[in-house]
Amino acid sequence: MGKHDTYDAIVAGAGHNGLTAACYLAKAGLKVLVVEKNDWIGGAAVSRSLHDGWTYSNCSYVCSLLRREIVRDLELPKYGLQVIPYEGGATFTPDGDYFAYHSDHDALRREIARHSERDVDAYDRFARTVVRQCRFIRPFLLRPAPDPASLKPRDLGELLYLIKRAHGLGGLELAETLRFWTMSIGDFLDEHFESDLIKAHLAGSGIIGTGLGVYSPGTAYVLLHHYMGDVDGAIGAWGFARGGMGAISKALGDCLAEAGGTIVTGSGIDRFLTTDGRVTGVALENGDTYEAPIVASNMDVKRTFLGHTDRNDLPSDFVRAVERFKIRGSSGKINIALDAMPDFPAAPKDATFLRGDLHCSTSLQELERAYDDWKDGRWSSNPYFDMLIPSQIDPTMAPPGKHMMTVFVQYAPYDLQGKDGVRSAANWTEENRKAFADCVFDKIEQAAPNIRDRIVHAEVRSPLEIETEVGLTEGNIFQGELTFDQLLFNRPVPGYSQYRTPIKGMYLVGSSAHPGGGVMAAPGANAAREILRNIGKGSRMPSHAE
Amino acid sequence: MKKTYDVVIIGAGHNGLTAAAMLARSGRSVAVLDRRATAGGMIGGGDASLAHLIYNLSGSEIGALGLRDRLSKVDTVSLSATGDHVIVGDGGVTFADGRAHPETAEYRALVARLTKFAGLLAPLAEAPPPAFEGGMLSRSGMRELLRLGRLGLGLKFMGKADMREFLRILLSNAYDVLRDELDDGPLSGALAADAVRGSFSGPRSPGSVFSLMYRLGQGGQVYTASNGMDEVAEAYAKRATDAGAAVILNLGVQRIVVENDQVTGVVADDGTQIAARTVLSGAGPLSTATMAGIANFDAETVRRARNHRCKGTTAKVNFRLGGMPTVAGLGANHLRHRLVVAPTPDYVERSFNPAKYGEIPDHPTLEAVVTGPESAPLLSVNASHVPADLRGGWTKAARTKLSKTVLQTLAAHGVGGLEGAKSVLVASPADIQTDFGAPGGHWHHGEMGLDQILTLRPIIGMSRYRAGPDGLYLCGASAHPGGDITGAPGRNAAAQVIKDGVA
Repeated sequence: MGKHDTYDAIVAGAGHNGLTAACYLAKAGLKVLVVEKNDWIGGAAVSRSLHDGWTYSNCSYVCSLLRREIVRDLELPKYGLQVIPYEGGATFTPDGDYFAYHSDHDALRREIARHSERDVDAYDRFARTVVRQCRFIRPFLLRPAPDPASLKPRDLGELLYLIKRAHGLGGLELAETLRFWTMSIGDFLDEHFESDLIKAHLAGSGIIGTGLGVYSPGTAYVLLHHYMGDVDGAIGAWGFARGGMGAISKALGDCLAEAGGTIVTGSGIDRFLTTDGRVTGVALENGDTYEAPIVASNMDVKRTFLGHTDRNDLPSDFVRAVERFKIRGSSGKINIALDAMPDFPAAPKDATFLRGDLHCSTSLQELERAYDDWKDGRWSSNPYFDMLIPSQIDPTMAPPGKHMMTVFVQYAPYDLQGKDGVRSAANWTEENRKAFADCVFDKIEQAAPNIRDRIVHAEVRSPLEIETEVGLTEGNIFQGELTFDQLLFNRPVPGYSQYRTPIKGMYLVGSSAHPGGGVMAAPGANAAREILRNIGKGSRMPSHAE
Repeated sequence: MKKTYDVVIIGAGHNGLTAAAMLARSGRSVAVLDRRATAGGMIGGGDASLAHLIYNLSGSEIGALGLRDRLSKVDTVSLSATGDHVIVGDGGVTFADGRAHPETAEYRALVARLTKFAGLLAPLAEAPPPAFEGGMLSRSGMRELLRLGRLGLGLKFMGKADMREFLRILLSNAYDVLRDELDDGPLSGALAADAVRGSFSGPRSPGSVFSLMYRLGQGGQVYTASNGMDEVAEAYAKRATDAGAAVILNLGVQRIVVENDQVTGVVADDGTQIAARTVLSGAGPLSTATMAGIANFDAETVRRARNHRCKGTTAKVNFRLGGMPTVAGLGANHLRHRLVVAPTPDYVERSFNPAKYGEIPDHPTLEAVVTGPESAPLLSVNASHVPADLRGGWTKAARTKLSKTVLQTLAAHGVGGLEGAKSVLVASPADIQTDFGAPGGHWHHGEMGLDQILTLRPIIGMSRYRAGPDGLYLCGASAHPGGDITGAPGRNAAAQVIKDGVA
């Protein structure tokens, strides 16, 4: 017989959203327990030391989307969170040239002019549109999505808010917004720019983490998901959490501890306990059971309901909807310890842009072909990657003079096609992971020819490893694809967009819920607000409504 | 030919002719000019007819055109390389050998649901799209909201479950929606092909469910014209001339005359000047603006017109056969039905891949119909995913390759008797643009993507058929609601002219 205890609320999973929800609940006076299957907290926002002396942000790797309202409410800087903005970025070409992105506007204009005079002004037009769209969408992130099938005053109120905001745009701008939301990043860039290289550099943000190609409708919206964040108020800026992404989780954990919450690590959920359609607690794999009238799952919707909930407690159409929720993984990750900074012969000495995101994909066609491979169950033979060397500005990541490099690779399917033509995650053998990594290293050599000589350790993660370690089904980094049919009131399942589930007292707090993935913490905060409202303690949480 | 009309319509396609009939009936004097020798645009022209089936024409239009006894329903035969062809039609869903298809119930339920949703959207096609000029809360904005409110009410009456399903799949991709309900096979493949026929998209492209629903707007029944498509073209022309419109062939329009922001007429190819206060153009937004003089449009409109998405991807390939073809395992009674090569949704998606890079797919998605006398029938084929901007251009060798690929693909899916096939037409999208003026050679005169429908069709600012200078209107498929033989854009444009009270 394992341990047994009673709480006001239990959060299953210590990812950043689960921790955020737990913090708000604890600060509202609830006795909160967070249970976590791994021996560490953070989910996909972790810092891990997998090679002596080096720290890897081995899942998520850069920070921008974390809502500043939440950072402020939970006083995360007080608990050590420091986000260091990075500047620049570049895309290297096979012929030894590059396009460098600079945050300095004049420098950027000079660099664009080097590739296309015409694109200089086009960039300003592009940036204006993107910033306008970000401004439009940001206030919606910390509000629940209205349910159009409901006539409850609150849903009508949210719908009216949406109409009011849309009205505020004016007729023409509203039409432009509708078009932007439904078009592809490829078409959007083609309309603005003539340089293939510049287009390819900007397109990555429209596809990262998705199962879509640059010409798939809806990817212009995904671009927003990577532009609507900020670092210290600079919209669209990205930064490194000092000490790795785990610093965010650590700050959240410390905040929770100070608010009186408890975290138990080392054993995952066996099942959610229910009586008469009401949640009563959780049973862990190690035999411990904990009781609470409120249970919030930070696991994705599939794992929560198909893996750990009694089907008899769920309506069959809900189960059906969860089953068809699309959560295909599309990316892999390589984390690398380097014994010295690799040479980038194309770049000027000590170029600042090397501190940003580096790429080697030089055209939209190349990116689209990379997507075609994925559709057929292969990793991209000519992959897109988002590569950073954070140790250049965060010295805590590697020993002096040495470096840590993170490479996010797209596309990589979860159910890899085997030699027999059958698709299965089991095909991610050691041999295939090595082949996958080799394919990536070959392409990195386009920018840094001596990269292989610099590697002292590399961790290669396919979608299967991401699933196994973090618990993200099929290795999908957003806990569910960000397509129209899975956003807003459709996320995760129509009729259950507001963090509630068919089981009374049970909630979803992870990225499967609105507004979706990224280290944003918005689903966690929004869910906490719903929970507190439902138990009549809504006033104990700061309002984020504008 | 008179030198003055109330209305000049550029292009005698079925939409131009529909608008002509309506405007002539309203008491206006109307002339329709077309560069081609026959009326009907992509319909008709004997063996060279681009359209070979009617998918989306409303029952009332069929009646109004006097075609009620002239159209015959056809089944869809989705061919399979293994001989397990699937027949969808009046006899239910069966295999070619008569066995019932195990997914009959799922298929019926899915199509019924999609058709129901399509019916809900159909009223949107019957009027100009919603517009929010002046903001959503202005008087006109409120009227639009009220219209949308009625659509919302229709949604509500479907019940919560259906409403939620509608809102979920409306913007989704056909591949996922089909594969959620049906197995991978010719049955789901044929629907995937219907979802993308004519468009620059694959079934995995978000928005392809919308185009599938568009295709199902009139219930999804497919018809052939018993006496050939020429009769359909003639019916459109006859309706216009009966109403009093002049249909002038072999005479194109060189330019549209604009004075002080007001259309005053057109100049024909032969230099003839025809005065008219109202001009309707069946061409796309960019060529219309070019004809009327780019300087008469504001810079934003021109920019939008230049970015109009209209990459044609469907080619027409016709063959004359020495006798009736055969299909292994398929009864002779089904040879004149709609034959589809789309064995799986994945096949259809893969057929789209090369088109994205300007290549002809080795395994294209096809739709074929056999017409004409048994002794020398015409095999008429629509080949999807054939790019307008073929790398290397549409040379003679490229055309030959396309013909060969089509024949090989049909043969690989059980079609026999093609040995003596003589190519009588290879119309690439580039040819279609040249010959018919369709923007980009696109079937629908512009992609029916989510970013180019309703208020956004064809481009922002032209969605209410008015285009630039006073008196200039769009009436072709590039305008709302879009392509297929529906006559709706022409009808809506004419209604807008009448409502505006011009000329």
